[in-house]
Amino acid sequence: MSSWWWKIAGILLVVYSIVMGFLGEVPRLDILNETIRNLYFHVPLWFAMLVQMGISWIFGLMYLTKYNPKYDIVSSRAAYVGGMFALPGIITGSVWATYTWGKPWVAEDPKLQGVMASMIVYCVYYLLRALIPDAQKKARISAVYNIFAFVMTFVFIMIYPRLAPNSLHPGNGGNPAFGKYDMDNNMRLVFYPACLGWIVMSCWLLNVMSRIKKLEYKKEFHEEII
Amino acid sequence: MAVLNSAHIIELIRKEFRLEFRQKTALAGILLYVLSIVFIGFLSFRGGIRPDVWNALFWIVVFFAAINAASKSFFAETRHKSIYNYTLYSADDFVISKIIYNILLVWVVSGCAVLCFGWMINFPVQDFSLFVLILLLGGAALAGSLTLMSCIASKTGSSYSVMSLLSMPVCIPVLLIVLRLTRNAIDGLDMSVSYSYLGGLLIIDVIILSLSFFLFRYLWKE
Amino acid sequence: MKKLFSLLLLMFTPYAFFAQEQPQMADAMRQDGKIYVVVTVLTIVFVCLATYLVIIDRKLKKLEDKK
Repeated sequence: MSSWWWKIAGILLVVYSIVMGFLGEVPRLDILNETIRNLYFHVPLWFAMLVQMGISWIFGLMYLTKYNPKYDIVSSRAAYVGGMFALPGIITGSVWATYTWGKPWVAEDPKLQGVMASMIVYCVYYLLRALIPDAQKKARISAVYNIFAFVMTFVFIMIYPRLAPNSLHPGNGGNPAFGKYDMDNNMRLVFYPACLGWIVMSCWLLNVMSRIKKLEYKKEFHEEII
Repeated sequence: MAVLNSAHIIELIRKEFRLEFRQKTALAGILLYVLSIVFIGFLSFRGGIRPDVWNALFWIVVFFAAINAASKSFFAETRHKSIYNYTLYSADDFVISKIIYNILLVWVVSGCAVLCFGWMINFPVQDFSLFVLILLLGGAALAGSLTLMSCIASKTGSSYSVMSLLSMPVCIPVLLIVLRLTRNAIDGLDMSVSYSYLGGLLIIDVIILSLSFFLFRYLWKE
Repeated sequence: MKKLFSLLLLMFTPYAFFAQEQPQMADAMRQDGKIYVVVTVLTIVFVCLATYLVIIDRKLKKLEDKK
């Protein structure tokens, strides 16, 4: 089974992050206290979502150049998987914020505005796909919308937080780098594997979802996708 | 990539204007919409309006007026007419003419909104040159994305509400930056405070216009 | 080896000595080892879900191979 090793690696990485996430050393900080461990579970969801968004975007572009339905399948499934990761990301972030920032939704935070914008884009994308009955037309138009909308949200997530200096998220206000996280080397040793593990898990989900869709496609149109 | 045909572009823009003036109801409808919203605002804000509320109200009016204006550019087109256009013009010429026309339209509409606001409510902006710059840049960004969105919405074959739904998330980044900038213009802050935001708006302008241009050819033919 | 052991010992030593000036952490939970219960439960939950995903994947493989 040549295709299994990365899936197993994903599981192991996430298990490692769960075990070490609770047992490892973390810096003692005011307000955050033990909740700093949420970093291992909340932030990787966003990385997984961003990766799915990127995959969706790239396969959308590839669909527009080749018009092969398999690219549309991967692109749309990646958007669904990304949304599936964004939802728990928003909820966990809200829970965490309630106990550290004092309220569940800090509207002035540019990161949160960006996240909200990308959630709305996902919803509208699903709606657009549901609105168009014809399969080819659906694929083409949703690919165009996908490319346009996700560039806009990406620009928004990247540019806008740099302009507005009042983010509560660490590493903003001109420098969205990781060095500003309240992380020491101990934490990095858990945080990076956790991100990698969740990204691999999201890609596995994408793999399964698009294979299911391919089977459905085959059943519907009686032709193989190469 | 096909070379742009400037004669065709000018011809298409002139055709749009001629259509617009022939059926005056369309533009008049948008202006009436702006006027009535401002009138409602005037009735509800008798005792004077806070600058941030003015800011939000102004951009909501401009945004929805722009959606109204841009949505016509593809909904008005019948099937026969679009087939006729396919045979005569290339996609690039066509979309450039549409974008330029929509930009001009949004500028006109936002200018009218400024007049109506100043006439009926008030006009708290202190830094007028910055405000005009925001209107020009923001209007171009709105028009660029709305052109593509109205094309997508017309392809779904469904109602006008889809159009506003599609363009809402796409325009959020533009609107947020524009709101922030207008706030600076209202407060009359020093120009140097706004430079980074203006730069961001300019980048977004370039991205939106080039994306609309490059993506349109994939929507063009059935 | 002895060095490693003492390092481990140091790691699990409660911070009670200088807890006064430092922010509160869940040291008690670490001290009596209840944290391992939490870790075990979470790991089991995750491994179960992952196994389910593996099973789905294999079923899908069978469906794909069937002509």
